[in-house]
Amino acid sequence: MRNKKSLKRAQLKIQQMVFMLLAITLFFALAGMFVLVFKFSELKDSASALEEKNALLLVTKLANSPEFSCGKAFGNTKLNCIDADKVMMLKENIERYSGFWDVQNIEIRKIYPKTSKNTECTIANYPNCNFIRIFPREIASEYSNFVSLCRKGSFEGEVYDKCEMARLMVSYNGK
Amino acid sequence: MKKEAYLQISFAWLFAIIVGAVILFLAVFATTKIVKTERTAIDAKTAKEIGVLLNPLETGFETGKSNSLSLPAETRIYNKCSSSGAFGRQIIKVSQKSFNEWTDTDVNVGFSNKYIFSGEYAEGRKFHLFSKPFKFPFKVADLIYLTSSEEKYCFFNAPEKIKDEISALGQKNLILENCSGSEEAAMVCFGFANKKKCDVNVNYNSKYVEKGKKKMYFEEDSLMYAAIFADPLIYECQLKRLMKRAGNLALIYKDKAEFVSRTGCNSNLKSDLLILGNMANSLTGSAQLVSIKNIAETIKEKNSLADCKLW
Repeated sequence: MRNKKSLKRAQLKIQQMVFMLLAITLFFALAGMFVLVFKFSELKDSASALEEKNALLLVTKLANSPEFSCGKAFGNTKLNCIDADKVMMLKENIERYSGFWDVQNIEIRKIYPKTSKNTECTIANYPNCNFIRIFPREIASEYSNFVSLCRKGSFEGEVYDKCEMARLMVSYNGK
Repeated sequence: MKKEAYLQISFAWLFAIIVGAVILFLAVFATTKIVKTERTAIDAKTAKEIGVLLNPLETGFETGKSNSLSLPAETRIYNKCSSSGAFGRQIIKVSQKSFNEWTDTDVNVGFSNKYIFSGEYAEGRKFHLFSKPFKFPFKVADLIYLTSSEEKYCFFNAPEKIKDEISALGQKNLILENCSGSEEAAMVCFGFANKKKCDVNVNYNSKYVEKGKKKMYFEEDSLMYAAIFADPLIYECQLKRLMKRAGNLALIYKDKAEFVSRTGCNSNLKSDLLILGNMANSLTGSAQLVSIKNIAETIKEKNSLADCKLW
């Protein structure tokens, strides 16, 4: 009788211990998952912060990069000057440049002289348009910089340089 | 009777010990993994941050621009290069010293629009960076030269032009002529110096840099600096990447020449640009640079004389 009683008590203790251990394991598993989720979101935040920083720093210098800059094509070397003719050709060959600048999109929008229409530039309507979108996708969160947008034009057989004021926008994959 | 009671207690203890040990092992294992992941994340973040911070080194009017980069811990910046794809990739890997051990990470951060010239890795807390535009014949890219503040270079017998440029940079680890007191500095010799004493020999007239038994050919001073500071394998790979970019730019300029000719703006460069594009895209080593140089020179001359300049 006494033997049976102590056996039952021992079994009960083992059961208690099993439940306790299960509870502890579950607690640690949940705590671990919470830490992982927290760390993962922290990592995602820092990745998008870096993308934002990249866009911010890139926008100030992109106009001087060889694919955009005017060089001496419009007289002396100009700082923050974009060659619209060259950019149109870049747009035509953009599949080669996918992922080159590590940004979502790049857009150049004429701001002066102002036009009432909002027309994207294509080979067919150029230069009677007011913005050049480099990659064929929408602009999301963006940083911008003021630039001059220059092109070659002609009037009665005479070639002339025309420069307008524009905004260079660099869009990044924001949250 | 006694035996049974003894067995019951020992089983409970045994059970608790085994499960407890498993839990402890899992906890230690998970913590180690998390710490390792955290270190890898920090290394990857630092590598990306370095790449992003290189954006302001893009030059405008300036010919050369120097900057420094300080990191909170002893760091190794590994420079890797891949020439595959349309533009190849600049790969940066960072390893930091933690508890007197270098973190081992496999995370490589890549950039298509950056060209860094350095040894296989640069080690230290402070790094010097300077950039110079590479024109062939149009501007192709800004080359970035990365050195640790602990690595010193002594430029011996350098031409006046190079001396002026280096002193204008004001970079502390680049020493001119009087190198006494900095015995550990790598000797960069120009012209007929005692070759045995020199770590890097520059033949400015024949346009090559000799490092060990490797010869690296260059055009333009920007490529000469690249050959001086870079590991030969990195130099050859980055040169291929630069030529790929030059090739793509040549094709854009060729299209532009065609496009602006409708306004009566003729440059007569289309066929030359097409040749340059094809030759640049198929470059296999720096020894071939000289053959592309001729067509680049012709294009440069034609563009400078044209009524309608393409760049």
